Amino acid sequence: MGFTKINGKMVEALLVPGQRLFSQRGAMLAYTGDVRFTPNITGGQGGVMSMIGRRVANEDTPLMTVEGQGRVMFGHGGHHVHVIDLVGDTLYVEADRLLAFEGTLRQSTMFMGSQGGVMGMVRGQVTGQGLFTTKLEGQGAVAVMAHGGVFELPIVPGQSVHVDPQAYVAHRGQVQNKLSTALGWRDMIGRGSGEAFQLELSGQGAVYVQASEEKL
Amino acid sequence: MSYPPQPPYGQSPYDQPTQPGFAAPPPPGYGPQPGQGYPPPAPGYPQQGGYPPPPPPQQPQQAYAQEQFGGPQAPLPSTHGGSGPVVYDAFSLPVNDNVNPYAFSVDLNGSYFLQKGKMVAYYGDITFKGVGAGVLDRMIGQHFNSPMHAADWVVAQGRGKLLLADRAFDLNSYDLDEGNLTVRSGNLLAFDPSLRLKQSIIPGFLTLIGTGKFVAASNGPVHFVEPPIRVDPQALVGWADCPAPCHHYDHDYMHGLIGGIRRLTGLGGASGEEHQFEFIGAGQVLLQSSEKLMAERSVGQVDAEAGVPVGGVPSQPAASGHGGGNLNVPGLGNLGDLGRRFGL
Repeated sequence: MGFTKINGKMVEALLVPGQRLFSQRGAMLAYTGDVRFTPNITGGQGGVMSMIGRRVANEDTPLMTVEGQGRVMFGHGGHHVHVIDLVGDTLYVEADRLLAFEGTLRQSTMFMGSQGGVMGMVRGQVTGQGLFTTKLEGQGAVAVMAHGGVFELPIVPGQSVHVDPQAYVAHRGQVQNKLSTALGWRDMIGRGSGEAFQLELSGQGAVYVQASEEKL
Repeated sequence: MSYPPQPPYGQSPYDQPTQPGFAAPPPPGYGPQPGQGYPPPAPGYPQQGGYPPPPPPQQPQQAYAQEQFGGPQAPLPSTHGGSGPVVYDAFSLPVNDNVNPYAFSVDLNGSYFLQKGKMVAYYGDITFKGVGAGVLDRMIGQHFNSPMHAADWVVAQGRGKLLLADRAFDLNSYDLDEGNLTVRSGNLLAFDPSLRLKQSIIPGFLTLIGTGKFVAASNGPVHFVEPPIRVDPQALVGWADCPAPCHHYDHDYMHGLIGGIRRLTGLGGASGEEHQFEFIGAGQVLLQSSEKLMAERSVGQVDAEAGVPVGGVPSQPAASGHGGGNLNVPGLGNLGDLGRRFGL
């Protein structure tokens, strides 16, 4: 299992019977073998209550379940794809950036306010994440989409990383993030540097950054 | 227009001293316009028409630059310490190869067909004529075996280097050796006149037959796979050698209790993957890594005639899957659209 990168914008997954994948609807490019695609009404795992949660949280990107035996290629909208292997840790990512992920991962929705209260909610607004974000945890691989190539910045204790909120893609591990503002009088008169808001991540983990400030 | 340009050219941005790699003052005896920093003047560069033969390809750029600028102090028309922009000239441009993933350089000697608007720059003495312009008609007859809209194509004739690009789509050239390749009409940029262009029976696709080179664009790099494979219609760039594909519909998800509810109510929607093109046989299938299509090119209408599948271009978005008609009648297993309409 896992995803193999074919090129910067395409991944391939090997499907074996008994295991399943979730992928964004319509993101399949091609497949060989006997593979079934089922639209996932609940938009992911966890039954109807999770579905309602996702609907309310607007994290209900249409997903489909991919099952069977064969090889499936995924890609979407010409976006760059980055594969992240989770080994028991947690990945926070916006639901519409999820291209595909393995069924072994647990998916849940997280309230931004639970990470830093009101500032967390403000942060969600600035990064375009909204008030909620999707959390994936467990063992397995995730294919994440980004506009422009993705690079990974490690976060080590005592050394925080600052990221442009628009270039932020996802982060993993035990990471506290807060929005740091550098608003000054220049911003008030419209002569700001354009970098008034920054996302400051600290703790232990990694942050994924895209080489573009454009949303998906 | 002839290449060695007349004085107005000398005032072009090329003579800016800030041009990377050309900051040093040119040595005396530099050429027709002393004092101008225009990069590619070769000694004995003809004044009118013509195009000098490129230097031997083995000739290292360093030697070339020294010969040009008369000494090691002359900067190299190349990178600065491995980074920074590479400056090409008429000779250092690749021959029939990619300059970068998004631009392709054709070493033109003769004629070449290209889609209108795909030329971004050229060196040399090249004329562009609309297909169907007088003298060319005979050639067109030999190579355009398609009711294509002639207005969409131009013929480049002459000698020089021709740079092709299309909105930063990835470009690739394909060599055919007594082969055939069918490609999405919007993706074909240019082709060698030694190839013959025909319209595929599959609407919206063009087939190239023969021996030669053509240039096609794709959204993201092209990935080659071998049949048997089922391909999302939007991810398909083309196919070579294998038989034309057939449609494949998945109705599995309409079975069972949940499937029945879906079927009756449209709730749950379609997976978006219930329709594919299925390829069988021996050959190669070309995939692009995204589902964003390039604009479809009109390939012309085939004559309405008994036994000829209706030609023309399928409607642009993914709706092409549903072949038109009133297939959304419940019970035909095609409730996907209904679901989409309800946003489910």
